[in-house]
Amino acid sequence: MAALLPKVGMRQPKLRLSRAAIAAFLGLGVLLHLLPFYYIVSTSLKPGAEVVSTPPTFIPSAITLDAWKLVLQIGDNAEIVQLVQEPFWVYFVNSAFITLLAVGLGLPVTALAAYANSKLQSGRSARLSFLFFIGTMMVPFVVTLVPMYLLTLNFPFTLPDAPTIPGTDSEFPTLRLWDTPWAVILPAIFVPFNFLLFKGFFDTIPDSVINAARVDGGSELNIFRRIVMPMAVPVFAVTAYMSFGSVWDNFLWQLVTLQSPDKVTMSVATYQLIDRLSTKGTTGGGAAAQAEGMSDLLNSGLTWNGMMVLAILQSIPIFIAFLVCREYLLRGIKIRGLK
Amino acid sequence: MRIRLADVTKRYLREGSLRVASDEPPALDHISLDIADGETVSVVGPSGCGKSTLLRLVAGLETADCGTVHYDEHDVADVAPQDRGIGMVFQDYALYPTMKGAGNLKYYFDVHRRTEDEARARAKEIADIMGVGFELLLGQQTTTLSGGEQQRVAIARCIVRDPTLFLMDEPIVNLDAKLRESTRMEMAKLLKRYGITTMFVTHDQQEAVFMGDRIALMRAGRVVQIGTFDELYYSPVNLFVATFFGSRPLAVLPATVADRTVRFGEAAWPLPAVLADRLEPGPVRIGVRPEAWRFAGAESGGGARMAVDRIESVPAERLTLAHGTVSGARVTVVAPAGTAGDVLWLTPDWEAATFFAADGEHALHTPGAPEFF
Repeated sequence: MAALLPKVGMRQPKLRLSRAAIAAFLGLGVLLHLLPFYYIVSTSLKPGAEVVSTPPTFIPSAITLDAWKLVLQIGDNAEIVQLVQEPFWVYFVNSAFITLLAVGLGLPVTALAAYANSKLQSGRSARLSFLFFIGTMMVPFVVTLVPMYLLTLNFPFTLPDAPTIPGTDSEFPTLRLWDTPWAVILPAIFVPFNFLLFKGFFDTIPDSVINAARVDGGSELNIFRRIVMPMAVPVFAVTAYMSFGSVWDNFLWQLVTLQSPDKVTMSVATYQLIDRLSTKGTTGGGAAAQAEGMSDLLNSGLTWNGMMVLAILQSIPIFIAFLVCREYLLRGIKIRGLK
Repeated sequence: MRIRLADVTKRYLREGSLRVASDEPPALDHISLDIADGETVSVVGPSGCGKSTLLRLVAGLETADCGTVHYDEHDVADVAPQDRGIGMVFQDYALYPTMKGAGNLKYYFDVHRRTEDEARARAKEIADIMGVGFELLLGQQTTTLSGGEQQRVAIARCIVRDPTLFLMDEPIVNLDAKLRESTRMEMAKLLKRYGITTMFVTHDQQEAVFMGDRIALMRAGRVVQIGTFDELYYSPVNLFVATFFGSRPLAVLPATVADRTVRFGEAAWPLPAVLADRLEPGPVRIGVRPEAWRFAGAESGGGARMAVDRIESVPAERLTLAHGTVSGARVTVVAPAGTAGDVLWLTPDWEAATFFAADGEHALHTPGAPEFF
């Protein structure tokens, strides 16, 4: 922080003024960023009727925890069963399971791939595998969406139905990943961007350190675990945080692959809830039906304030992940112990 | 342990290239070496000559394209560096940055599943050998140590395991002059004490002479000559070896041999009988070391005329050096104290002069080591 605001020359009025201006500008930016958060929190505490009133109120007229209670009992409440079928914590657990597994499997795989590429391969093979890994970054996600979807149906084949073994009636054995958590976890394991980060770091470790450990008798895996990993803690923190966020917040792919109500994740469940809320509130033939639908919702108590509660609950894990990795994220990728 | 390399060749790929560059000169070009048990061999040469590659190859960290490496009777081509029982000191020390000094020493015992007590006992033993204050270093994070301290930890890490072979890759080149001197002394003592076969890579000829029982001089991936200092200094196989050793430049004079005399510029000298019998008439090059000149009288025309550019005195070594040219060739001579003037008359000391071919660099005649005692 000290380097951000140097003390040099601070006696000069012009510099003080410009520094104050910078501080004011940054403060304004911070306020702008915090405003949505304020709206989320304040809306979640408003009573249902106030949420849909126009113009929206900036300060809640009354603070109530109704929405919070409602969301936490979402599956028990008879009225809301029409909207979502499972209690809220099911979605939360689904998301947590998928995210933790994707990060927990993904980091070692990506780190080891990068390490092998950086230190164990050399010459042409290193170059080719590097290009291969990075090449996966060059294809936009939307391009691979449909082929990936087809892959999840009958894993090794990109076909809606598994082909039959020639000469017989039986089908090839395939992995049916679709509508299982693995359809989300497996593609998220190798992250090319994390691979780049790891590779960039491992390239800065002098070969002689690795060689010294080899001469000391450490196996390649032991060297990675005992020598390289402790050096790479900040990189692990950055990549863990980023892949945690990307899997937890991922929406499109999870919407495509997870259909059973009990397998849906937080982000998809929130979306479905919004979708049903807005359909029920706005369509259904004529103003009368619309008003009726709206009053139904209001009676059940769940409107946008409930959505805000879900939004808060959904962002809490990201916030926790940030707190865990904060020290290393703020430090950037400044590596301890290297010149 | 005896180390034998037979006809080892190693070629690198160009960095970042997908194609094999066949025009690239090999890093090691048909190297054969035989290091006796307990012997210390200094490998010396200009930078980029392949000496570090040679060391890594002996350690098993590189694989040879062809040729064999034997430890005693065993071909170690298929033995991983982990299993070779060697100790290696790297130029940049290569300490494990996330461990303390003690952790660096202990890692070997950890991966070999030895007991904690043994590791500690050995570390203590090494600390006694490494001298005063070493145990303090072990408690510190290695990144906070100075270069000299890191170097001591690196050497300790290398010897803590009782290696059968020491490999040292310019271990003291990063130290300041004074520390280098004392460390060199310490290391020579250590090597003597353990009597372990050692390869010591350096680019500093003085260090090579000091540390090595024998010296292997390398150039462009080849071992040009291997032998004791006297052999390399007084019987160089070629001009490169002759110019590499010696802290002051060897004068190389193009001359002609004819009628049992040697003619250089305007000067001509009758050749001593031994030389006259050995040298074919024709052009040669004469290598004369600065201390191997004789001075004729300042006035008379005896010998070759040297136009003096500068007279330099080196008080620490009680030397006076005269730099100048003799018939266009640059010459440095060790002059008698109090020498002054613009002109010196010189005659090479034929017993210490080396003759090289004029068209190649191989030696035609070398003086051989003088009998001092």
